[in-house]
Amino acid sequence: MPKRDLLLAHANERDLTQLGEYRAVGGYEPLEKARAMEPDELIDELVASTLRGRGGAGFPTGRKASLVDRSGARPSYLVVNADESEPGAFKDREIMRRNPHLLIEGCLIVARAILSRNVFIYIRGEYVTEYEILQRAVDDAQADGLFGDVDIVVHRGAGAYICGEETALLDSLEGKRGQPRPRPPFPPIQGLYMSPTQINNVQTIATIPPIVRMGASEFLKIGPENSPGTALFSLSGNVVNPGNYELELGSTLRELIFDVGGGVPGGREIKAIIPGGSSVPILTPDQLDTPMDYDSIAAAGSFFGSAAVMVIDERCCMVQLALRAEKFYMHESCGKCTPCREGTRWLVQILEKIEDGRGEYADLDLLDDVGSRILGRSLCALGDFAVWSVQSYLRKFRAEFEEHIELGRCPFGGESSIEGILAPSDQHHRPIATVPA
Amino acid sequence: MNAPELVTVTVDGVEVHVEKGAGLVETALAAGIEIPVFCYEPRLGAPVGACRMCLCEVEGMPKMQTACTMTATDGMIVRSALTSPKAAEAQDSTLEFILVNHPLDCPVCDKGGECPLQDLTFRYGPGSSRMFFAKRTFEKPIPVSPTIALDRERCILCYRCTRFSETVAEDMQLVALNRGSQSVIATFEDEPYVAPFSGNVIELCPVGALTSTQYRFEARPWEIQNVPTVCGMCPVGCNVAATTREGKVKRILSRNHPEIDDGWLCDKGRFAFSHVYASDRVTEARRRRGAQAYDALSWDEAIDEAEELVRNAGTHIVTALSGSETVEQAYTLARLLRVGLGAHSAVMPEVENARLLDGHRRPLSSIRDAQVVVILGDEPVAERAPIVDLWLRAARRDGAEILYELDEEKVRGAERAILIWSGPDGETELAAHAERLDVWGAFYLPRTPNARGVCEAWSAASDEEEPEAPVPVRLLVISGDEALVNPDVRDLAREAEHVLAFAMFERQARGLVDLLLPATSYLEREGTYVNLEGRLQRLRPAVMPPAPDELEWIAKLGERFEVDIPPYAASVFEELSAQIYDGLPFAAIGEQAPLPSRSPPPAEPASPTKKPRQAKVSGLRLVTYRPLFSGPAVERVPELQFQRPAPELELSQDDARSRGIENGAEIEASSNGTSVRLRARVSRKLARGTVRAAEEHVRGLLHDVEVKRA
Amino acid sequence: MTELYDEIQQFRARYPDSRSAVMPALRAAQERYGWLSPGAFREVAEALDLTPAYCKGIATFYDMYHLEPVGRHSVEVCTNLACALVGAQRVVAAFEHELGVAAGETTEDGSVTFRTIECAGGCGYAPVVVVDGRYREPVVPEDVAALVEELRAEA
Ligand SMILES: Cc1cc2nc3c(=O)[nH]c(=O)nc-3n(C[C@H](O)[C@H](O)[C@H](O)COP(=O)(O)O)c2cc1C
Ligand code: SF4
Ligand code: FES
Repeated sequence: MPKRDLLLAHANERDLTQLGEYRAVGGYEPLEKARAMEPDELIDELVASTLRGRGGAGFPTGRKASLVDRSGARPSYLVVNADESEPGAFKDREIMRRNPHLLIEGCLIVARAILSRNVFIYIRGEYVTEYEILQRAVDDAQADGLFGDVDIVVHRGAGAYICGEETALLDSLEGKRGQPRPRPPFPPIQGLYMSPTQINNVQTIATIPPIVRMGASEFLKIGPENSPGTALFSLSGNVVNPGNYELELGSTLRELIFDVGGGVPGGREIKAIIPGGSSVPILTPDQLDTPMDYDSIAAAGSFFGSAAVMVIDERCCMVQLALRAEKFYMHESCGKCTPCREGTRWLVQILEKIEDGRGEYADLDLLDDVGSRILGRSLCALGDFAVWSVQSYLRKFRAEFEEHIELGRCPFGGESSIEGILAPSDQHHRPIATVPA
Repeated sequence: MNAPELVTVTVDGVEVHVEKGAGLVETALAAGIEIPVFCYEPRLGAPVGACRMCLCEVEGMPKMQTACTMTATDGMIVRSALTSPKAAEAQDSTLEFILVNHPLDCPVCDKGGECPLQDLTFRYGPGSSRMFFAKRTFEKPIPVSPTIALDRERCILCYRCTRFSETVAEDMQLVALNRGSQSVIATFEDEPYVAPFSGNVIELCPVGALTSTQYRFEARPWEIQNVPTVCGMCPVGCNVAATTREGKVKRILSRNHPEIDDGWLCDKGRFAFSHVYASDRVTEARRRRGAQAYDALSWDEAIDEAEELVRNAGTHIVTALSGSETVEQAYTLARLLRVGLGAHSAVMPEVENARLLDGHRRPLSSIRDAQVVVILGDEPVAERAPIVDLWLRAARRDGAEILYELDEEKVRGAERAILIWSGPDGETELAAHAERLDVWGAFYLPRTPNARGVCEAWSAASDEEEPEAPVPVRLLVISGDEALVNPDVRDLAREAEHVLAFAMFERQARGLVDLLLPATSYLEREGTYVNLEGRLQRLRPAVMPPAPDELEWIAKLGERFEVDIPPYAASVFEELSAQIYDGLPFAAIGEQAPLPSRSPPPAEPASPTKKPRQAKVSGLRLVTYRPLFSGPAVERVPELQFQRPAPELELSQDDARSRGIENGAEIEASSNGTSVRLRARVSRKLARGTVRAAEEHVRGLLHDVEVKRA
Repeated sequence: MTELYDEIQQFRARYPDSRSAVMPALRAAQERYGWLSPGAFREVAEALDLTPAYCKGIATFYDMYHLEPVGRHSVEVCTNLACALVGAQRVVAAFEHELGVAAGETTEDGSVTFRTIECAGGCGYAPVVVVDGRYREPVVPEDVAALVEELRAEA
């Protein structure tokens, strides 16, 4: 399984958060190269690389850049999505923490391509250390005169998964409640402050300096034809060696989980694999040989998503897992559109009933049907995420759901690996009596 | 502006030609197809696509799209729920989701029977419920303000109300709190929604979540009648419908006139109607007994009494007009007093020459399309003509520049510049500026609802010059409550030998008026008003007045002096119309009156007046205004008292800074030995050297004041 | 004018539209006062020409703004899928036992507010516990007593 370092090259040997160290390994050379190129040429290069967005939707990055209205009628903006909140994903954090200048350099290159003078990096509020590292790197690079006429502002989120959705992110950045906007108009036409805006994931942007350095033609040679490049795979769950691993796209799930991740602790059986973050349909052990690239995972019935692979071993109750996942979506639904706001709550109620042993067979059909009624009808993909996940658990593990009904209780009898899990939405709030000064 | 490009769109197989960029909901309507909506309301700015009621299939797009957020492009093929099973299924599921947590308490809900949610559920919704779990519950109803109640369980989170608050009225007081299924509509903490346009959210709400406290549990839709009329509370003349039940007015709704009000009303127009039922309403003629009391008179006694007062006064009569009479009332009064008795002297509502601005006439809605708007005069626009404030906000959002000083260069440089005068005594000056700068449009904001109509009708009755006031004044005829509370008129009343007044309310007449004749509210009148644009509009009586109305009294009195006056508005109007309204028949005015075309400026060109308007002051120049929420009607509506302005003095940033006064600080304003304590409000809109306060808070102060921290 | 006002003016200057400064402004107010009281909302609104209602609408949308007073320290345990799969619920139980409060509550002495949170982005180092905004990865039930001890000592 081909390991290849584009994003974290030299990060193990050196402290790349230091500008000097980053430069010592050739950092900011691609920027110089990019600045010697015409913006159109740069965009052509990105298009030629066929790089696909690493934020989840896999949209071709070059094409997105080419859609940005550069007429100058309004200023154009580059916005970096560093809100990373997809359960299972922790890759952007690794980049910002260990190689922040790579991200900054990517920003400066894209800013040149789309003629933007304002870059905003929207980093999730919980990433405090990462923010500090990134902000210092921004300050250092700026002090070093690398910015030219570009300004980079690091904007901190405040705890809302939905702000990872690109248009919700824009509203949040504009100082509104972070709720998605209808599309069209798409951000490259009308985004931040009603102006043309390019939005990309951290990892997408961080992949751009290596592309500029090696040239699109070289980049195309990495990984499979339709999904060139590497990805930081976030491996978590029931594995011996969880963590981030940079692999070429096209490596298989088995390679990641067993060869790199060391397999399941205690030699237990894998029950299911979430291949792209909690929002994508779940896969089963018979699909372990699926190559991890956009097309292959789609062919397997799921999505590449954010390359967050979560391993679930045999001890886990799938109804509990579904319930916990759905509570997340209910908690994170922004409340703007009807199907997602009302549907997620309803799904949670149905799942609670089943897990409590009060379920009836009709509830399984209701669960499936309510899900189908949300799918494709919500304002943004969160509604789909809330269904892809639990509906796939139901459909692939229907027997286990039925067993809950048959027995009138959870068949795991309190022994499920996630038994007793609490969600923030279950919390009751008891404020303290005295107000601190 | 160029001719719009037309595109062809096919909706459910029907081909239509619409302007490129037209909304799909409107496009479908053009094809005769209704796409149901909840959150969509084009007057609230960009569509949000929240409720998902309008999902449609659009050829070439893999996912269903919300019609409300899509715009027409050439060749577009759309399938609504009518022909697309997928869209129909989506519609059904949207309704199911909306109802999942809705209490379905229609039998006790005020909205029942006129509720879009009820109607759309009836037409498109699922027939049964699959929701067997606990629904979301909330404390209810929550008082959003003394006039608005909120029932959160019924709320479908369409965000119409909050979008109105944020993007139309821009008061940003009604907001959504929390996220997801916990989201609720709220004001800040327990504070009421205090803003001049708050009541519009009641009408915007597509369910029974936001209701009027005045209307709660008052009527069922099948018991009511909606009478189309015009608001008589300010010179804008918003088109309204008065809802009546068993002969009583129960609420006021907007009747969208896109050129005047765009479907919005201010809270005075919406909520002050209950003045009609004030406890001191004059319901029959009354004769003064002693200082504070009155005796009721019969109709005949009253006519005798009035005849005697008039006869004894000869030509020593002065008439004080309110500016809220109908055109017909003013005209018949003039027929009686001027033509019949030769008593020409009058105190007029403030309008100098009603026709001065007719050459610059435009609909109010054109303010939205202006590039530059200059506001002159000293009074806040919202206090004089509230809806104009909303048009100004719309203009600013569309990129117009709003100036508070006349920048001639900018005005000349703009293709579409509008001048507005918000204050007294400005019409001549405004007309002169408008003429000289050749502006796109100009509006003078009078203080009273029909100032212009009253002035025109009064002058139309006779060619006789208006003489100086007679000495002594043997009889002062006060027409209406607005005139009755006017301090100048009251001073005159104290000097006059006798006073006869048409008034709705007794309280302010006590001790001053000898013969009190019952007056009517605009809600009880048949007749016409001319609004600040110069648009003639028709009032229709929503309810019967408690006693014969002004026209009947005047006509009857006319008989005694052999002046032939018809007691019907229609006949009076026809007579007058021949003179000043080009013979327009009464019946032709219609429910949505058009704006008359521009007419050339009057023969004598307006010359800039050199009025001693701004006498030199040594301290700060105090300008006062009458707040929107004040006056005889508002005073009689308990639910509106919270809207009355706090005792504040506005001052410019410069003046505040130089006196060390911070926003919100307690200050003292004094002149000539009198001083008043107020709170400071530092304003960016005021010019240095000027301070501003509501009339009622600075009584006793002169126009030259000193201000210091208290 | 207060220092907070001035700080907020600096945030304002960073953005093409001043409304964008509302999130940093709320964060700054919270850092100053510990939580967002009605008074804090008024201050932020004043500094940004917004209304307190608007600011509260923003604050309540996000999980990290405190709308009630909180303890001097905060302990948050991620209980999303990856952490749950490796025993976050036992970590929660250990904290509840050591602190004597349930998730969502503050200790009687006002020293610690304890809550569970959604995925913190540390799934590879699970279970993740966030103490006063800093990640501790991983934390197992056996670590909890010492951690609480550490917080109590600082309180
Ligand atoms: C509910 C939701 C959450 C999302 N969260 C993230 C996120 O945390 N980070 C991210 O990069 N993209 C996220 N996305 C995807 C973005 O909307 C968008 O597609 C992405 O930022 C585009 O960048 P890319 O083209 O570089 O992938 C999310 C999408 C949805 C619908
Ligand atoms: S209160 Fe009415 S208008 Fe406001 S969001 Fe709820 S349903 Fe819509
Ligand atoms: S009307 Fe289109 S989404 Fe609400």
